[in-house]
Amino acid sequence: MFSKNKPMWGKKPPLKSSYDVVIIGGGLHSLATAYYLTKEYGITDIAIIEKNYIGFGGAGRNTAIVRANQRTQYNVPLYKEALDLWPVLTKDLDYNLMFNNCGNLNLMHSEAAMKAARMTIATAQFHGVESHLIDAKQAKELVPALNISEDITFPIHGAMFHPPGGVLRHDAVVWGLARAAAAKGVQIHQQTEALGIGTQNGKVASVTTSRGAINTKQVLISAGGYSAALIYDMLGIKLPISVLTIQAMVTQPLKPVLDHVVSSGAYHCYANQTLKGEIATGAHMDPWPNYTTLNTAHYIKHQAEALSEFLPCLRGVRFMRIWGGLADMTPDMAPIMDGNEQVEGFFMDCGWGYFGFKSCSAVGKYMAQFMATNQCPDMLKPFALKRYQEHRLMGETAALVNYTPDN
Amino acid sequence: MMNRLNHLPTLKIDTARKISFTYKGKIYYGVTGDTIASALFANGVRIFGRSLKYHRPRGLYSLDGECSNTCMQVNGIPNVRCENTLLEDGMVVAEQNVKGSAENDMMSFMDKLDWMMPAGFYYDVMHKPAKLWPVAMKQIRKAAGLGKISPDFKMPGKYDEIFLNTDVCIIGGGPAGMMAALSSAEKGLRVILMESRPWLGGFFEYRSAEYKDGQTLHDRANDLAAQVRARENIRLFTHTACVGTYNNNLVTGFQIGKKSDVFDQRYVEIRAKSVVVAAGCIERPLLFDNNERPGVMQIACALRMAKTYGQLPGTKAVFSIGHDLGLEAAIELHDLGLIIDCVADIREDGQDPALMQKLMDRNIPILKGWVAAKAHGRKVVKKVTLSSIDGLMTRTLACDLVVASAGVTPVTGHITVALGTLKYDGHTGCFLPDRMPEKMYAAGRVLGLNDAMAIEASGTLAGLKAAADCGAGSSEEIGKVAKIVASLPGPARGSKLVTAPVKGRKSFICFDEDATIKNIKQALAKGFDVPELIKRFTATGLGPGQGGIPGHNLPLYVAKYQTLPDVSIRPTNVRPPLVPTLISTYAGTNHTMFKITAMDQMQRKDGGIFRNIGVWQRARYFSDDFSCKKEIENVRNNVGMLDGSTLGKFRIHGPDALKALQRVYVSDMSKVKEGRIKYSAMCNDDGCVMDDGVVVKLGENDYYFTTSTGRAGQTAEWIRYHTRYDGWDFALVNLTDSMGVINLSGPNARKVLEKVVDIDVSNDAFGFSAYREFKIADTIPVRAMRLGFVGELSYELHVPASYMQSVWIMLKEAGKPFNIQNFGVEAQNVLRMEKCHIILGQESEQRTNLLDVGLGFLWDRTKSEAKTVGAVALRQAENDPARLKLVGFKMENNGRAPKDGALIVDTKVRGYVCTARDSFALNEAVGMALVEADLSRIGTRLEIFEDECGDDRIYGTVVKMPFYDPEGKRMKM
Repeated sequence: MFSKNKPMWGKKPPLKSSYDVVIIGGGLHSLATAYYLTKEYGITDIAIIEKNYIGFGGAGRNTAIVRANQRTQYNVPLYKEALDLWPVLTKDLDYNLMFNNCGNLNLMHSEAAMKAARMTIATAQFHGVESHLIDAKQAKELVPALNISEDITFPIHGAMFHPPGGVLRHDAVVWGLARAAAAKGVQIHQQTEALGIGTQNGKVASVTTSRGAINTKQVLISAGGYSAALIYDMLGIKLPISVLTIQAMVTQPLKPVLDHVVSSGAYHCYANQTLKGEIATGAHMDPWPNYTTLNTAHYIKHQAEALSEFLPCLRGVRFMRIWGGLADMTPDMAPIMDGNEQVEGFFMDCGWGYFGFKSCSAVGKYMAQFMATNQCPDMLKPFALKRYQEHRLMGETAALVNYTPDN
Repeated sequence: MMNRLNHLPTLKIDTARKISFTYKGKIYYGVTGDTIASALFANGVRIFGRSLKYHRPRGLYSLDGECSNTCMQVNGIPNVRCENTLLEDGMVVAEQNVKGSAENDMMSFMDKLDWMMPAGFYYDVMHKPAKLWPVAMKQIRKAAGLGKISPDFKMPGKYDEIFLNTDVCIIGGGPAGMMAALSSAEKGLRVILMESRPWLGGFFEYRSAEYKDGQTLHDRANDLAAQVRARENIRLFTHTACVGTYNNNLVTGFQIGKKSDVFDQRYVEIRAKSVVVAAGCIERPLLFDNNERPGVMQIACALRMAKTYGQLPGTKAVFSIGHDLGLEAAIELHDLGLIIDCVADIREDGQDPALMQKLMDRNIPILKGWVAAKAHGRKVVKKVTLSSIDGLMTRTLACDLVVASAGVTPVTGHITVALGTLKYDGHTGCFLPDRMPEKMYAAGRVLGLNDAMAIEASGTLAGLKAAADCGAGSSEEIGKVAKIVASLPGPARGSKLVTAPVKGRKSFICFDEDATIKNIKQALAKGFDVPELIKRFTATGLGPGQGGIPGHNLPLYVAKYQTLPDVSIRPTNVRPPLVPTLISTYAGTNHTMFKITAMDQMQRKDGGIFRNIGVWQRARYFSDDFSCKKEIENVRNNVGMLDGSTLGKFRIHGPDALKALQRVYVSDMSKVKEGRIKYSAMCNDDGCVMDDGVVVKLGENDYYFTTSTGRAGQTAEWIRYHTRYDGWDFALVNLTDSMGVINLSGPNARKVLEKVVDIDVSNDAFGFSAYREFKIADTIPVRAMRLGFVGELSYELHVPASYMQSVWIMLKEAGKPFNIQNFGVEAQNVLRMEKCHIILGQESEQRTNLLDVGLGFLWDRTKSEAKTVGAVALRQAENDPARLKLVGFKMENNGRAPKDGALIVDTKVRGYVCTARDSFALNEAVGMALVEADLSRIGTRLEIFEDECGDDRIYGTVVKMPFYDPEGKRMKM
């Protein structure tokens, strides 16, 4: 019934002098890519280099919300596949990822927002993803705690209801993928820092780490919020990424009161109830680039103000923990996935902002295909870095973003 | 109800004043000063609730609410920490997480099933077959969680907020904190002292041991409190828990109001120049089997039950302690009437001889090198088994109280959340401050001190250091006091034992999550080798007690188990809020902060229906008919007024003003002529349109320009950013709030305006695109522009905000004969759409560039590229076939307008509808859409996919823009 009490990702392995593939970062995108490389392509001579421990960064700090109601036709199919993969992965990894497909309710607070939602919903429906525009009363039926009165700061006009979305247990995904990858021979080197990438004749040749050098022909950097800095430091490639701290928090655990993920752009707030009963809620990013992951007094107060209005019963509930993680934001809020372009053998998977968790399953699959075949899959082609050089943004966000003064 | 010990000087209750409350539907009585827990205890309640997983009985443990043991549902509010919540008249109190009652819980069989629930077991079960999971999940959700909140719960009470500035902020009102407050206050500084309990005194307050010269610690605490209260420059916040410490010494907390206060709770945010942390210690829980059985409690809990609340915590007690505080408590409680069978002390030696003598005098046997190994009793403690530390000898004693504590551990959360670091100290067995955050000082027991004099002196020293950061005091004085502190007893040797010699199947390291020592071993075996990971895998420390119970034991146990060296031991992260804080308290007064224009009230009186638009509130409709037919027709055929005050309005002047405009606008701004308006746009480096508006020239290098409503906030920063290396000399003034705008539109607009102004407003004298300045009634300065956004004869009048209402009334009066009407933002939206005048954000999105929306004619290519933001990108985009283009379309067969946001499709998405309406003026449905270039030719059929359309499509045809008055005669009339 229970997995045996033995180390889930093997005993600590010694670092070899060469690997077929080196992956820098021990988060979800790395683990998923390694997992699919072993599963689909039989490539098992892989080292994952993680400075801290697996799941230390965004993988362990996000609030694990999944959905496939993105804005553009390039993104929707990718996220749809990611969403469809959770039950598959639960089975294949034989690890309960605790997928609660409770559905997401994205509140709209103006006529303009309803129009924006309609476009997103039409795009979803066109691609076979279930999503509906509902009015305030229907939203209240789904979420009885919702305040649909007119006299709040942002009265609720309606909502985008996306039934197949939901929440997972993020740590379980990390551990499940790590266990499956390690079982196939992937070596996970924790407490090991990648220091540089060596190139020869424009090709990747080696990776130096705090525990010694490794020869390799393929390197993937998918280190979440730290990717852009690593890629610049190691290869001098400058990415249009701004890194910002994003905070999330939980209340004390409660018996079931909130059955869906509820989010609001106008309030900069989302909330859902975890299986443990906590109301997990997160906010917008801190409005200045930084790598601190520091908490601020402002955000927990802001969050309380927002929840007080649209889920007023939560006024009687207590916050018990706030934490911060990093969001690596691109100008169009779509990621950068590229390979063999800037340097042969070098792959990158970054710029996910706060979408890294929900995409990891499908991205792992396609990045593995990309690395194993050296051919960019059609699914990933729109995400290449060159779109910024061509001034062709992806349109994943309608409104202008403003992370730094120059965008 | 139990008789209270009535004559102790330390009591905080008034037994003469009874308070009634309801518990499980019955009326009970406590007394004034009781907490909910002490009142229940006085009424014989021992089992306060049941634990999360195993439904084990739980009771009083620390009296400071470090665990969920005594969390209850109070007045409908879940998870109220009864140990430190004062009882109020009429409170309705209920147990949590019980099936039946806390006394008889039908789920208590779960305790026997722990073998089925090893660490992380839930990841290994319930997902096979897949159908099982949704069913299992429902049960998990029901079983999880402590406390209930009803979806329609309305939180009673008043919640306030206060934002303070101070020189020194002191966290903790015990002896060290009070001494720190006094020493920095003596320097004439402003001092704030925060204390989480309703009274000052901390570690001294409940103790009768001698301070000095026959004075008790309790009396000393009162003396110090009186001194603190006498200082006018110390602002005292009692009953105020500190919940967060942030960058640059921002301290937050919340205050619980007294009856006389106007608030129930108040959020407190303090910006201090320096901070002293004197938060004291909590006790480190002792790990042994059934270490959380009701009847097992910590030393201060047992002692304070007697000294503060006048109740003996039991009748017959066994102590298992590792600190002199335990010996002192045994003596005091014995003298108050508690029978003490035995004191087991973890320490082989090092006890205070005076205390040992007193124990001997009272015939209390002491077992050195012994520890509690197991508490017995199904619901409450009946017996306890003591064991020698090596586990070789045991002895079982009958008792109803086990006072158990492994030692003390400093409360360091205030330091670590502010990014200070801790170091494990082998001498005390505690985590002590290592690197303190800038301008933050630790004092008292946080430093591991135990001696009363040393605690006080360390407070004085910290207060002086904090004062020095505010520029007061001398380093000599600090040196002197530092010497005194050094001469006093330092940190005492502490017990390092974490767990009794047991296997740990029922030794609970975390009460909230029912995590045992055995669970920790299981996690370690699975490869979770860092406390931070074990925390996640076993949930240890993630419950409502926020790690108060396991926070320091977990890393100590893990280090011991892995035989790691002391230097490697790190406590798990503590996170704010340091004390769980109500959302209503954080929200405080929750102000609405929208800007309103000068016309707000008058438009509301006229029936305006308002909407939030960016930072503003604007009138969007003037009737329940959201198609705005009447408003629209009135503008097309008569005359209407719109409040356009939210437009961004700026003046830029100075020798280099023109250069700055040239940089950010795509047009050649040197061609702006006095008396004329120029429409232009700003792009970003990707060529995407950021903003559009008009510019007028007031004089040489002196311009007035408008931006869209949403862009006003960023415009000044935008211009400064893009001229940051040039050293140009210009000034930019944001006039958005100080100027109002009235848009007077419609064929009768001139007839209205000429009645109000003295200047000639004929088409010859004030034609289309002209700009005029004049005064109304020789008093009100007006900047007037002939624009045509809605496609009719229009005047945009820019008026100082203070005169807006006057001008508005004058125009309204003048317009009465024509039946002038208001129109709102939605009517304007349709009117301008019929003219195909774009609104950025509606006909554009982030990725849309100047050329895409057909505004390429604004771009002056003769300006050198480096000078115009976006020009490089525009040049590149000119030859890019893969961009979306803005087109106008009509619906086929007189069909209805598609909904905004509908898609243009074939086999894939090819574009989307920006704005479309059934036009009253044209009597057909028209709109604008952004489509791929090959669909942009006139006559192209557009297949439109709306949400919920299924397989049905509607069709439109690309037509020439604009739809209405293509020659523009009406706006130029």
